[in-house]
Amino acid sequence: MSDFDFIVVGAGPAGSSAAIRLATAGSSVLLVERADPPGSKAVSGGILWGRDLDGLIPDWEKSAPVERYIDFKSTSFLTRDSKISIDFRSKKFEEKKTGYSVLRAKLDQFLALKAKAAGATLVTGITVDSLARKENRIVGVVQDGDTITSDAVILAEGANPRVAIESGLREPLRDRDCAIGIKQIVKLSEATVNERFNLTGNSGYAGEFALGYLEGGVRAGGFLYTNKDSLSIGVVIAMENLRANGSTYSYDIMEKFMEHPYVKPLVEGGRVQEYSAHLVPEGGIDSMPKLFGDGYLIAGDSASMTFSNGMIIQGMNYAIASGAMAADSLLEAAKKKDFSGAALSSYQDRLEHSQVLMDLRKFRGIDKVTWSRLVHEVAPGMMENILFSMFYEDGNPKKHLAEIILGSLSKANMKRSELIMETYRMLRRM
Amino acid sequence: MALEIVVMVKQVPDSQEVVIDPVTMNLNRSLTRNVTNKADENALEAALQLRDEVGGHVTVVSMGPPQAESTMIECLARGADRAILVSDRFFGGADTYPTGLTVASAISKLEKVDVIFAGEESSDSSTGHVGPGVAEFLGMEQATYVSSVKYADGFIIAERELEDGTEVIKMPTPVLLTILLNANVPRRQTLKRKIAATKQGYEVWNLEKLGMPPEWVGVRGSPTIVRKMRPIKEKERAAKRFEIDQIPDLVRELFEIGALKLEEMQ
Ligand SMILES: Cc1cc2nc3c(=O)[nH]c(=O)nc-3n(C[C@H](O)[C@H](O)[C@H](O)COP(=O)(O)OP(=O)(O)OC[C@H]3O[C@@H](n4cnc5c(N)ncnc54)[C@H](O)[C@@H]3O)c2cc1C
Repeated sequence: MSDFDFIVVGAGPAGSSAAIRLATAGSSVLLVERADPPGSKAVSGGILWGRDLDGLIPDWEKSAPVERYIDFKSTSFLTRDSKISIDFRSKKFEEKKTGYSVLRAKLDQFLALKAKAAGATLVTGITVDSLARKENRIVGVVQDGDTITSDAVILAEGANPRVAIESGLREPLRDRDCAIGIKQIVKLSEATVNERFNLTGNSGYAGEFALGYLEGGVRAGGFLYTNKDSLSIGVVIAMENLRANGSTYSYDIMEKFMEHPYVKPLVEGGRVQEYSAHLVPEGGIDSMPKLFGDGYLIAGDSASMTFSNGMIIQGMNYAIASGAMAADSLLEAAKKKDFSGAALSSYQDRLEHSQVLMDLRKFRGIDKVTWSRLVHEVAPGMMENILFSMFYEDGNPKKHLAEIILGSLSKANMKRSELIMETYRMLRRM
Repeated sequence: MALEIVVMVKQVPDSQEVVIDPVTMNLNRSLTRNVTNKADENALEAALQLRDEVGGHVTVVSMGPPQAESTMIECLARGADRAILVSDRFFGGADTYPTGLTVASAISKLEKVDVIFAGEESSDSSTGHVGPGVAEFLGMEQATYVSSVKYADGFIIAERELEDGTEVIKMPTPVLLTILLNANVPRRQTLKRKIAATKQGYEVWNLEKLGMPPEWVGVRGSPTIVRKMRPIKEKERAAKRFEIDQIPDLVRELFEIGALKLEEMQ
């Protein structure tokens, strides 16, 4: 007899979602989380996209600690002096809410407490050391020399899955599969947030930025999201860039983003409430480990289920969805009391038929585009040239758009053929 | 002989993360993490060591809001035998006087008490009142600033760290001891013990259980009135480097900006 039916390692969105589903179905579940309370160590810019909580917590939009629903989506290219944006605002989002800004300190705690309310045993402030094995099957977890047993374990450790790696269940992370995300929460009044971003009521802004003015070929994306009375602002930097440039470098990039002439007025006067950094798995489907085996499943960031294109990061939604699917697979396996890898392979099938793996397969290799020179260096500068030539009246005869574009292309020092190739690659992958 | 030991603990905002709201002047507790007061962890460890040596039981008593649950579970996971959270909205806003009275009232409901442990002070208010207050309310002997504790034949032998040395005292039980911050290294919580603690659970005692008049507790029972609070402005500081042979220049400069004054030698 095991101590628990199931043990879930990590109470992030993936782990708590799995525990909610398992406990609701009546299984005995142990949910172990290193942070106390859950979420106090989480770092996330914080837009929860999609509706994956629908199936777990009825009416979650009313009870969950969501800050604002997003009706204002913006993608911007920044050069040293300019900002070129594509803004999309729509009243349609009021009816059909597609994303909410969230603060992880609150959201993670909410989800973990839901799991507890459903009957899971929630233990916080404890780090699982390793997995317990019996004849190559995972039969529980080990902590401080004690073994706690279960029929199966869900590993939902997040982006730095130490237990999975040390148990040989996944490869160590390679630099090229990782980015580093840095985030600050900047406190402002609710009225100031509304005024600066032209928002009313509960609506919110989510902006992503290509930082086209960094020196030395560094590629970084910025994000800026509105919470009720604060902003989440941060940058995502390719790990390879960072290694080459030393560790204090990430801070400089954050500074450069926040000091940009068109970003600074948005955050000015705010008080920094939190400052944190975290890994972001960027490798996509190619860096994904085997997702199941005898007695275990891997969900969320631990399984590299993150979609990132250098500007936008989605991971919470995949974490929630994969956590719930891992739970469903365990519940199915429990009917036959068979927790072998073969029985748990239904997890892979579920994922393949869901948005999670469909997205990740479709956007395989997106990182090559999003971290490309085109997006992060050439495009912002070119667009600035083009728009500046179009709008600057110098009394000279006007030029055709085509002339302007070709002119700025040669200034950008990019061959026409190269541009066409890059653009083609980009379109194909997006 | 088995000792019945009580430990007084409090949950406090993590002092490394505390933020004062510049408008209301109150602690902004919304984003701060709550933790067990560090000196109380030392008090608990001292109690557990004494129990492990002599035998007996350790009961943790805390007055606080429902979220002090995590502190209750933590104390059980470290090895306490029983945990009681004294919690009621009537207790809110208490200063150190009704806090001591309420905790003393809870302890007096226990069948037998030989030794009470408390932390020297709490990191969020730093008064050091509550432990000694409880001793007074219970009419019990007390020793403060204790760093180590032994027991023999009805007597506690305690070492007190004082400014000019260490004092060793011997007192008959029952006695209340306040334990110095960092007097010992608290034992770790483990997953196994924490699961057991979660399953065991803790008791919640409300005002009715204590049977105290409502006007004795919480805000109404508090004689302290805070008239005004103000933040302390950080002074602007300058850093400048002087070589040894430039000391006369330094003195002159300090004199010129008014930082040094000349006084007649007596
Ligand atoms: C700067 C930044 C911005 C982001 N912005 C967004 C965004 O806007 N939208 C979005 O959808 N996603 C975003 N993401 C990604 C998102 O944060 C992750 O995809 C998501 O948190 C993954 O959830 P998870 O449950 O798999 O892992 P996590 O949220 O990392 O949770 C894992 C949990 O496991 C715990 N844990 C780890 N090891 C152990 C152990 N051995 N024992 C016990 N507990 C353990 C950890 O403490 C943690 O709480 C962002 C990420 C970063 C870094």
